[in-house]
Amino acid sequence: MIPAQFDYLTPKTIDEAVGMLAQHSDDAKVLAGGHSLIPAMKLRLAMPQVLIDIGRIKDLAYIREEGGQIRIGAMTTHYQLESSDRLREICPLLPECSAHIGDVQVRNKGTIGGSLAHSDPAGDWPAAIIAIGAELVAVSAGGERTIKATDFFVDMLTTALEPGEILREIRIATPSGKFGQSYMKVAQPASGFAVVGVAVNLTLDASGACQTIGVGITGVASKVYRASAVEQVLTGRALDGQTVTDAAAHATDGVSVNGDLYASEAYRRHLAQVYTRRAIEAAASRAR
Amino acid sequence: MKIEGTHELHASPQRVFEALTDPIVLQRCIPGCERLERSGENSYAATLRAGVGSIKGVFTGAVRLEDVQPPRHFRMIVEGKGQPGFVKGSGDLDIEARDAVTIVSYKGDIQVGGTIAGVGQRMLQGAVKMMASQFFTAIEAEAKTESHEPPPKHGFFRTALRWFSGLVRRVFRKTVTK
Repeated sequence: MIPAQFDYLTPKTIDEAVGMLAQHSDDAKVLAGGHSLIPAMKLRLAMPQVLIDIGRIKDLAYIREEGGQIRIGAMTTHYQLESSDRLREICPLLPECSAHIGDVQVRNKGTIGGSLAHSDPAGDWPAAIIAIGAELVAVSAGGERTIKATDFFVDMLTTALEPGEILREIRIATPSGKFGQSYMKVAQPASGFAVVGVAVNLTLDASGACQTIGVGITGVASKVYRASAVEQVLTGRALDGQTVTDAAAHATDGVSVNGDLYASEAYRRHLAQVYTRRAIEAAASRAR
Repeated sequence: MKIEGTHELHASPQRVFEALTDPIVLQRCIPGCERLERSGENSYAATLRAGVGSIKGVFTGAVRLEDVQPPRHFRMIVEGKGQPGFVKGSGDLDIEARDAVTIVSYKGDIQVGGTIAGVGQRMLQGAVKMMASQFFTAIEAEAKTESHEPPPKHGFFRTALRWFSGLVRRVFRKTVTK
């Protein structure tokens, strides 16, 4: 279908972009890779009056290492993250997660910043970003602020970004010590979206017991969430089979699980537990 | 699609019932409601700009209340259509006093068709839950005021803040009772 009429703006700098956004606020949408917004516009489920295309701003697509952090520009495509040899070495969760997104065409155009700002309840990036405890840098006409990943996802398709803010950068503490990561997903066969997706980032101490662990789960509830109950059970414990299975049983504690035509609530709950267990086991085996 | 839910409101059952059946209050509380007019006894015509995030659509439709038993029960029949699709459904709403709070529970069956059902099916249940909790948070704020007082202000952030403080209160109470 054909989208409703809109004005198309092409800022060349991020300052110009936030200025335009401040001017149009409620009527405007920021266009990144366009692989969620454009389909919604074509179906006329989204009808912004102004589209601010940040694709022509130079220097928004990058992967850098700075001050013990990995810094990723919001316009970095899924494919750039998937194919980064350096990331495979220092933070393999990111390439692994991006490889699960949509298909090659989507990964070539879609961006990590666009995906996070859209906050699809079954998006893959939010799970990884939560598990790894990233920080998100938002910029507006008033300046910059940093938002913790756990505070960023407010509800379905709703983030902590204010109407005048653009997501500029993702910051991740470079994993160190004996760390292991994993992303496991059951993809909906038609859409490729996660029926359940579980990201795990953990570290082991000298004795092999779990020192820290982050578990992010997507596709299950109205928004991505951190499986704190699972993390609590495992912190400080040796990750043997029974311990992990018992912990994974808490994957949906305190969460209102959603169902749809493809997967009922009970089935999703079951998948969440199974995939949480598998993702933790995979991450633990990689840490050794 | 079957929908059901329970919300705990800190207000008297009588005030909650009044709020839930007052078109002026409802218009303020239903997320995105632009118009709600009485079109007959217990029936109303409505225009709704409903949606989540950037996904929004305008629906027009009718709401009818049946089996009205103040202050504890009514049945609601909704029918609406708009550019993104149509919605049709009915449900029972029960209001019950328990200790110092009022429990509102709803249970119903809704049919959604058109574009929104075709491409948004996986998000429907979540969207309904999200809008229901925004709605009941706003209703709670309304029912807490006395009838002669000015109405509370609703906005996304005020509603979110109220929802959050309610959550903190519940978590806190759980910790205390343990």
